[in-house]
Amino acid sequence: MAEDTDGYLAVTGPCHQTFPKDHGAHPGYRIEWWYYTGNLLAESGDRYGFQLTFFRNQMSPSNAVKAWPRPSSAWRTQQILAGHAAISDLNKNKHRHAEQLARESLGMAGIAQQASETTVFIKDWSATIGANSHTLKARTAEFAFDLKLQPAKPPVLHGQGGYSRKGSTAERASCYYSLTRLKTTGTLRIDGKVVSVEGLSWMDHEYSSASLEADIVGWDWFSLQLSDQTELMLYLLRKENGELIPASSGTFVNRAGISQHLTREDFRITALKRWKSPHSGAVYPVAWRLTILPLAIELSIVANFTDQEMRTAASTGVIYWEGSVSATGSVGERPVKADGYVELTGYATDYRAPL
Amino acid sequence: MKMLLFFLRLFIWFSLRNMRRHMGRAATVLFGIALGAAVFTSVRLSVNASLDSFSKSMDLIAGQADHVLTRPGGYVPENLMATLLNQEIMQSASPVMSTYTRVSQADAEPFLLIGFDPILDRPMRQWRVDDQSGQQGAAWLDLLKEPYTLILGKPLAHQLKLAPGDSLILEHARQKVRFKISGMLEPNGLALAESGRIAITDIATFQEFTGLFGKVDRIDLKLVSSATSKDLAAVEQLLPEGIQLNPPTATRESGQMMIRAYQLNLSILSFASLFVGMFLVYSLVALNAASRRHELAVLRATGASAYHIFFIFLAEGAFLGIVGWLVAIPLGHILIKYLLHGVSQTISTLFVRVQVDALSLSVYEIVFSFFVTVGISVLAAYQPAREAMQVPPKEALEISQLGMQARISPRQLAFGGLGCILLVVPLSKLPAILGMPLPGYLAIFLLFVGFALLAPWALVKISHILSSILLKRFGIPAYLAGRYVRDSGTRTAVSVGALITAVALFTALVIMIFSFRQTVAYWTYETIKGDLFLTSKMGQINRFRYPVPQPVIDHLQNYRSQVDLLPNRQFFLTYDKFPYVFELMDMQGYMQYASFFWLKGDPDKIRPMLKGGEGVVVSEVFSNRTGLSVGDFFEAQIEESYVKLQILGIVRDYRTQGGAVFYSLPHFNKRYHPVYWGGLRFFFKDRSQDLDAAVARLRTDIIDRLGDRVDMYSGKGLRGAVLRIFDETFAVTTVLLLIALLIAGLGIATTLSVLVLQRSRQLNTLFALGASFRQIRSMIFWEAAFLVVIGELAGVICGFILSYLLIYVVNRQSFGWTFIYAVDWDALLLSIPLIIITALAAALPAVKMVFRRPPATLLRER
Amino acid sequence: MTDESSRTVISAKGLTRTYQLGDSEVIGISQIDLDIAAGELVVLKGNSGSGKSTLLSLLAGLDRPTGGELMVARHDLNHASDIQLTQFRRQVVGMVFQSFNLLPTLNALENVCLPALLAGKSLVETRPKAMELLRWLEIEDRLHHLPAQLSGGEMQRTAIARALINDPAIILADEPTGNLDSRNGQIVMDLLAELNRKWNRTVLIATHSTLADQMASVRMGLKDGMITSFA
Repeated sequence: MAEDTDGYLAVTGPCHQTFPKDHGAHPGYRIEWWYYTGNLLAESGDRYGFQLTFFRNQMSPSNAVKAWPRPSSAWRTQQILAGHAAISDLNKNKHRHAEQLARESLGMAGIAQQASETTVFIKDWSATIGANSHTLKARTAEFAFDLKLQPAKPPVLHGQGGYSRKGSTAERASCYYSLTRLKTTGTLRIDGKVVSVEGLSWMDHEYSSASLEADIVGWDWFSLQLSDQTELMLYLLRKENGELIPASSGTFVNRAGISQHLTREDFRITALKRWKSPHSGAVYPVAWRLTILPLAIELSIVANFTDQEMRTAASTGVIYWEGSVSATGSVGERPVKADGYVELTGYATDYRAPL
Repeated sequence: MKMLLFFLRLFIWFSLRNMRRHMGRAATVLFGIALGAAVFTSVRLSVNASLDSFSKSMDLIAGQADHVLTRPGGYVPENLMATLLNQEIMQSASPVMSTYTRVSQADAEPFLLIGFDPILDRPMRQWRVDDQSGQQGAAWLDLLKEPYTLILGKPLAHQLKLAPGDSLILEHARQKVRFKISGMLEPNGLALAESGRIAITDIATFQEFTGLFGKVDRIDLKLVSSATSKDLAAVEQLLPEGIQLNPPTATRESGQMMIRAYQLNLSILSFASLFVGMFLVYSLVALNAASRRHELAVLRATGASAYHIFFIFLAEGAFLGIVGWLVAIPLGHILIKYLLHGVSQTISTLFVRVQVDALSLSVYEIVFSFFVTVGISVLAAYQPAREAMQVPPKEALEISQLGMQARISPRQLAFGGLGCILLVVPLSKLPAILGMPLPGYLAIFLLFVGFALLAPWALVKISHILSSILLKRFGIPAYLAGRYVRDSGTRTAVSVGALITAVALFTALVIMIFSFRQTVAYWTYETIKGDLFLTSKMGQINRFRYPVPQPVIDHLQNYRSQVDLLPNRQFFLTYDKFPYVFELMDMQGYMQYASFFWLKGDPDKIRPMLKGGEGVVVSEVFSNRTGLSVGDFFEAQIEESYVKLQILGIVRDYRTQGGAVFYSLPHFNKRYHPVYWGGLRFFFKDRSQDLDAAVARLRTDIIDRLGDRVDMYSGKGLRGAVLRIFDETFAVTTVLLLIALLIAGLGIATTLSVLVLQRSRQLNTLFALGASFRQIRSMIFWEAAFLVVIGELAGVICGFILSYLLIYVVNRQSFGWTFIYAVDWDALLLSIPLIIITALAAALPAVKMVFRRPPATLLRER
Repeated sequence: MTDESSRTVISAKGLTRTYQLGDSEVIGISQIDLDIAAGELVVLKGNSGSGKSTLLSLLAGLDRPTGGELMVARHDLNHASDIQLTQFRRQVVGMVFQSFNLLPTLNALENVCLPALLAGKSLVETRPKAMELLRWLEIEDRLHHLPAQLSGGEMQRTAIARALINDPAIILADEPTGNLDSRNGQIVMDLLAELNRKWNRTVLIATHSTLADQMASVRMGLKDGMITSFA
């Protein structure tokens, strides 16, 4: 597993993440992210989607440290952290987002592990992963949130023991696990108004050193929490012509938290509707029909509103779509509903790396 | 509109055509006023260019910051960053460090290296990497990723003939390091600071290069717009002792203040040229009004109102002003080439470092110079215009031309003049207004006016006294000349006034510069003592913010047997925006070899107290600017200590970047906190040996043992450099002075020519009475001699008074210092006869002009 | 010009002008009573110092009396302000001087136009009239010559044209032939007479030449500031 690519660690086989240790950082790998999304309901009945993401990017291979001047400045670090936060106001169809960027030094940003608690933070944004709950905090001039997330199911390791193939060769892969059902309570501040909310969140944590294969232009990622207490994750790696590469796959989590790997052959997905961003000019799919053949799941997925585009010029420089979606359909004969989040990358420009 | 058109036509018919008929006179006056305007404008533009460049650099470097954290004389701990960034009111915070460094090669010019976190800095300052590939991120990411990489300003890269990918070796106090160039800055925003002679690097690299770990020069803050003063106070609560939260403008303002004071001084000096030009305008307009008196009467008789006449003459003044200003443009263009460099050089050596590469044409300055030039020209025309409008129309009937009768007698004028001069005394005692010696300048103006008003009376009196002597000793021409000057009234007085002004300026500046130089020389030799001075590499330009490296200090102990080592440390601080240096030194050692230049306080009493660390001595400038004097307490935050010490005495000090406060280094270490050595000086114990050779030996030995790690100056070289800088500074002044004299010469030439032309009838009568050409020419020459000598005499007297004003009022108020009054008799005794000869030479065209036209034609004309 | 009062164009009563010269008082004219009807040609005779010029300058509004009363063309010149006097000079009288008094920087045409321009007319409207006058005076070929390039007769004719440009009711001439040879002098006198006869202007000529004697309708003698004869 600890094989070198350009001096970085490579993911080549099962990761067998253990917790709480693997909630923490994995320096040596080029990129790593902690991804929280969720759909929330206020007492008033207003609905909100939220996103909070922390990226870690290692700028140079670990052995580059040997060439550092001695003594080294406290500012000297290999790690840069980026953060994206967003709130989708589903009533007003208004999407707000903000970003952060900082080097991992002098307590300005970092990933700290103390006993069983892991904290990922940039300035005053943070995600604290404790034994029984996660706490998310983000604050911007426009909005803020302070949420408490309690896992209803244990972490799910995707692929083979957390080893998630993202390409044709073994090292085109990441270590990837999710917490698919996090019961969420807390407050949002939006337009200067503080509202209490509750709902469901999803957490992804993934790390890798590999960049995407040259012919992959981007990916579509789906996370859905179904009303029958199951969850579905799907990632589609797209080629230029829109074709999906064979490594595209997914995971189904049943009521008991047991996961089932879904391969390319297990699902059919068709985009039904597209939307052109007035900001970037990118054209995104915003409604889909999804069929999971082995599980007899039929879903019609639709973006809760179209303009949930993230433009992150000041941190990662990437333009992508990350938005709250709803779905209706059936599992076998039973009707089912779902809430979730979809991430669409590579529509504005080729998506190569977060930085 | 019709009115204006008519007036314009009348002006062309009546005035312009007349000027064309007397082209020579008008051209001379125009040239004079143009020269004055050119000097005035180009001086102001030159200083403005420096001021602009300085302010722009400061603004670009300060960026969007609305507050800045500093520790006076010290550094801000970097671990404040996380706390600051977590404040809700903090929109962004960026630590900044900067230093002058240079490429390690002979004669390399220092440039500014700025270190910051490229990520934190992005909201603060505008800078972009010039990158054709569009990979904007790559170059600045390299700064973070790779140690010892930097991005160069384009002009700097071009000067060094380097491109991205190349490397260069930079040297600094601590070490020499090879840097890799990862990019160039697009020429906008920050990249324009210091005229592009800058480089940016990551703050980590900066600290590793300079050895300043754990601290930064300052932290720039940008608060959210909703932040209140209460929020700000809450942030201040978080700061450790001695860290100050200020608007970013403080350093800029103190720099601007110094440049502005200098600008005002140069403006006034250059205004003198314009002032002398004003005399020229006056003399021409007055001449026109007088010699065309009959025409004026006819104009009035044919229906012109008195105001028509008045405005025609005002318009003559305005016309001379406007055309003069236009002619000044090409003249100024030439002048400015010289001045731009000279002025920015002076400002850099005297006040703050400025890099001027281009003239910034400020619309304000152009408009200002236009209105000043036209304004003084109109002002100069006012009096003649008033006189002209009094011409009664009935004179049209009279054939005889009486000429203008002075309505005010010389005696009355003299009283007015005396009044002006007397006003000088109280004015010179008034304090400066807004830090500018405005009452002093007014006093100077009144002094000039006063002497100009005294001139007619003096001419009458002196020629009266002299005429009999002249008759006896020099014959009838001299006698007639004396009588003529006596009776010529105010007209000749005007050009004498111009000469007085120029000569007075000359005399006063010769005295002031000499006093200044003598005093500075004495100060230099008495106080800048030491056989060899040593600082960290580039210590001087970086204001000793980097310690002399410890291994160097350790090694220097080996020389203890032959030399005394006197360490010192300077802190550059401000006292209510007024910049000063707080200098810690080994008082015991210092006073053994050198001494202060005492101004106030009893040296014998103060010396032991100073050695015992009981208080400080402050410079005259510091005392004048802060109002603190002997017995008061000097208080300041210096690094982490709050210092409060009694002022024991005041000493003269001529460092140009503000004031100075001196205290004992060992006592500071004991009482407050230990400080590093910023530099030190060596004194050889054996004073009988060949000191130059000993210094050279010591220097070579230090370089052999330590390598090129420190900067060293021999005391002799340093003292020479101080005086050289002084002389360079006054080069600009000297040029301005010479131009004022030149304009005064023009004045003499015009006046005399006009006097000759006006009196052709009288001269012809003399000729008819049997005077020879020779006698008549000799008479004209005597008249010239009269005017010149009297002008010079009065000018010298006025100059002596003026020199007092300059030294004890203007210098004290604008720079805070005074000098020991000393007169450069040699220079004056040599130059004043020279000026007389030059002025007499200016009279030659007039003498030649007599009888250029045959006397018969003159008789026919009326 | 029907009733008596409008026919009287110059009326003086006890008109006096004295000058202060140092401590002594010099009399210009003293206690002059005078009534001159419109359309007269008055010849004023007297030696130099007789008060001719003083009287003329008072009548022309160039100076103010120190005593008595003076009405010229219904203008009260005793109590006129400077501005009113200027208006008076522009509109009521035209002056012809012994030494012509042309402005040396203006050419003949411009000199003629000047009073009209001063009175607020434009050059465009003034020019034709000036040309006409100069043509009448037979100097239309000298329009663009400066005074220095003109002969004495030409200068005086230019000056007459200038006096007429604003259509004044009264022409005042001060020794108009004094600087001219006899031929030119005669021409100038004839012109003034023609002005009086054909153009019906009141003309007052101060002169000691005899050239005007036979054409005068009124002859007036002045000595030591007082009228000695009036016929």
